[in-house]
Amino acid sequence: MNSLRRFFARLSSYGAQREQDERLREEIEGHIALQTSENVRAGLSPVEARRRAILKFGGVEGIKQEYRAKRGLPLVENFVQDVRFALRSLRRTPGLTAFVVITLALGIGMTSATFSMVDALIFRPYPVPRPGSVVSLASTTHDSPFDDFSYREYLEIRDKTTSYDGVIANASMEAVGFSAEAGTTPRIKGGMMVSGNYFHVLGVEPRLGRGFREDEDQVSGRNPVVVLGPDFWRHEFASDPSVLGKTVLLNGTKFTVIGVAPDSFPGMLTFGHPDFYMPLAMAHVFSTNIQKNFFEDRDDRELHLKARLKPGATLDQARNELAVIAKDFEREYPDTNRSRGAAVYTHFQARTIEDQNWKFGVIFVILALAVLLVACTNVAGLLLSRARARAREIAVRLALGAGRLRLIRLLLTESLILASLGGVAGIAIGYGVIEWFHSKDSIVFATELPVAVPFQMDTRVLLACVALSVFSALLCGLAPALQSTRVDLVNALKSADVDVPGRKRLWGRNMLVVAQVSMSLMLLTASFLMARGFQRSLLEDTGFSKDHLLMTSFDPRLIQYNAAKTQQFYKLLVERMREIPGVQSVALTQNIPVGVDDFDGVAFVPDGFQMPPDRANFNSTMDTVDEGYFETMGVPILRGRAFQASDTADTPRVAIVNEHLAKHYWPAGNAVGKYIRLDSGAGTPVEIVGVAQTIKSQSMQSPMDFVYMPLAQHPVARMVLMLHSSGDPLELVQPVKEVVRSLDPNLPMLLTRSYEEFYLNQVVRGPRIAIDLVGSMGLVGLLLAVAGLYGLVAYNVSCRTREIGIRIALGAASSDVLRLVIGKGLVLVGFGTAIGLAMGFALEQLMNSMLFDSGGVDILAYVTVVPAMFLVTMLAAYLPARRAAQIAPTQALRYE
Amino acid sequence: MVLKTLDVLGSLHGYGIARRIEQISGDLLAVNQGTLYPVLLRLEQEGAIASEWGASENNRRARFYRLTKEGRKQLQAETQDWEQTAAIIGRFFEAKAEDLS
Repeated sequence: MNSLRRFFARLSSYGAQREQDERLREEIEGHIALQTSENVRAGLSPVEARRRAILKFGGVEGIKQEYRAKRGLPLVENFVQDVRFALRSLRRTPGLTAFVVITLALGIGMTSATFSMVDALIFRPYPVPRPGSVVSLASTTHDSPFDDFSYREYLEIRDKTTSYDGVIANASMEAVGFSAEAGTTPRIKGGMMVSGNYFHVLGVEPRLGRGFREDEDQVSGRNPVVVLGPDFWRHEFASDPSVLGKTVLLNGTKFTVIGVAPDSFPGMLTFGHPDFYMPLAMAHVFSTNIQKNFFEDRDDRELHLKARLKPGATLDQARNELAVIAKDFEREYPDTNRSRGAAVYTHFQARTIEDQNWKFGVIFVILALAVLLVACTNVAGLLLSRARARAREIAVRLALGAGRLRLIRLLLTESLILASLGGVAGIAIGYGVIEWFHSKDSIVFATELPVAVPFQMDTRVLLACVALSVFSALLCGLAPALQSTRVDLVNALKSADVDVPGRKRLWGRNMLVVAQVSMSLMLLTASFLMARGFQRSLLEDTGFSKDHLLMTSFDPRLIQYNAAKTQQFYKLLVERMREIPGVQSVALTQNIPVGVDDFDGVAFVPDGFQMPPDRANFNSTMDTVDEGYFETMGVPILRGRAFQASDTADTPRVAIVNEHLAKHYWPAGNAVGKYIRLDSGAGTPVEIVGVAQTIKSQSMQSPMDFVYMPLAQHPVARMVLMLHSSGDPLELVQPVKEVVRSLDPNLPMLLTRSYEEFYLNQVVRGPRIAIDLVGSMGLVGLLLAVAGLYGLVAYNVSCRTREIGIRIALGAASSDVLRLVIGKGLVLVGFGTAIGLAMGFALEQLMNSMLFDSGGVDILAYVTVVPAMFLVTMLAAYLPARRAAQIAPTQALRYE
Repeated sequence: MVLKTLDVLGSLHGYGIARRIEQISGDLLAVNQGTLYPVLLRLEQEGAIASEWGASENNRRARFYRLTKEGRKQLQAETQDWEQTAAIIGRFFEAKAEDLS
């Protein structure tokens, strides 16, 4: 209580220093005057009286000090003093200050930008209350730890589990034709089907209207209601609150707007914010798999499940519970659920398992941290040499009785200021990098869906910046501070050349050189490897042609075509396209290679293949194509035949597999003529009529099994039309538009562009950006390292100027001196190289296991990087060495 | 001691307090008088005393300290404490060997 009151009194008196000092001075004077007059009365001479009075009072300065210490807040006062002093002394050396700040800014900026990536990809919590209790439920198979559930499975899991405060389901965000009024051509927006309890369980309160009610999700097709996303509401309806109750058309069906999600809830997806949400019960309006019945078929797996754990429930309980349910499914529905399990993942697990891109982010962060470390060693070196220049000042302070701790605090304050300046500039750099990611120059998502780069400079990233600044302040400030306050006072005061060649001191500086060489070597190796990895993936032959192709896609469900009408439309479309002059061939495909959407999967059993006992079927990616596909895309058929117009819905089912799959299951013989059965050993038999060359249909991935199905036998609603042109493919756009308009003026053409442009954007641009990013990190690291090395070595030599002078005076040739200095540099660089190589090698292993899987050691990287590094450091040692060797001995000895 | 002095004599300036303490202690406690001032400051920060400017005997400006309500309470508490302590210690000195048998 008393101490608290004193604290406030101190705080308030903090401002009024001068006044208080004055008060004390006056009091003391008054005191002494009174004592003096009393002494005079006692019979002393005035002078003696005053002397006695002062004597009796005691040391005035000491009292003043004590008084001051009691009065204010010495810690704060000292800190403010330190800051003032540090700012003054930093201003005296603007060049050095600027260099240090820029160096640190580069390091901190890069780290914060890359950290924002990792944060967005794996750490950032869901934008809902108590995000920690939201877990992901996944169906698991041999091939996938993160498969989806079917609607039936969802209902049973929702009703049978007891560990949760609700289980929610959502389908993927998908293209939905939206028109605000009837009669307008629909535009593509991103809609997401969610279960009726979605908003309620997540704890999201709509900013307008309401979320879905559970009864709105019970009867198929009964409740056409829609909740808008906040961004969509703002852009499409100009934040108009009267939107509630309004009717909009989604895929041609009337929906009533019942609510708007709050700004705090842009959606649960990492990439992209859904424009609106619809209840699952309206599934027949949206792009579910038209070959299956969404509400009944247990193998129509389209739902992602999430659940909110009950306050008392543990993850283990939830896992066990779900495992039991999965076992029941397996027993009751062996056709669809054999060897299928289920898993519960935390937010972190879900993000790391579902999407592997975070690994790039982590590697980037490691590299950026390496840049920061190099920057820190650089600054540490600089501060060290600065500390030497100030050695006499520090010695004087020590001699005058300043405590060592106090001095260290002063020096640390200095580096803290430097780091804060660097941090601020670093935030600016990081912000710039992130903004650049957002700009259209970097990545254009080739999709009509509302997809967004999630990287942002938010409080979390800012906090990380602050932490990094403090960390780097300690890192680069502590060693110099400790070292420069540990001086031999007598020597230091005698001459400016304080640097007694003690082993310990040299050791510290040498460590810096070694650290710098090794860090930058690692950085360079890593960026070189990464750049080469991306380069390789770019240069690889993809196995299909990309030029002279025009692509455009159609989704007849947007205007309520049924299956028959859809088939008819595609048939006519292809026929008419062939008539356009300049069109060499025409193809339809469900997905294009390296497209935005994932390929569908197909479960099958190769006929006559001995299945392992624990597996019901194998999985492969698949595509639905028409008979013109292989010719148009330039994919050679190695054996057998391509699809023909004679493969129709009425003839026996056929398929074409890629060579990878053929070799996989029929290593010895020809796969042509063999059969696969869909789903299980008792499923529909499909004859393999051809083997196509394996193409790289997904970028950055190794070749995989692939099955092609003919469109006529495997109808799909949303298809991509590919036209092979004799000239510029974009010249075909106008005639194609006219043809489509003549078929149905209401049908929108989606994603119309040249395939080559699309391909570059999808496949080449990302890796290019990565190469640029990694390359610039390597370059910055190298530049910093060179600057730092040069500084350190030059400084080391300059410290030994006197010694060198003596050597030359005693008869050493300048070549001897050169050898001495360079030899020392060589040893250090050698050490650094060895350590750097080891670290680079470790990092390469890490990268290989995470990203490229190229296996062996990339010799070229080391062969290029190591000599380059050596050369640079040798140069850094040579220049100051030569200067040292040229010093006239008289000059050196007179030096200072 | 400071509190008691102020309690007895009312408002007083620093020198007066120092003199008073010297007198009462019979010059046995003749410490550096200067050390009084930090103590005064602390007491003032704690709110036990208050101070204001006034004129001293020789017509100089001097700072006069006086006890506050808070200080009186503190003095009381401390007096009690001290008396208790003194009493206990006193009993130890009075105690003779036969008292324990």
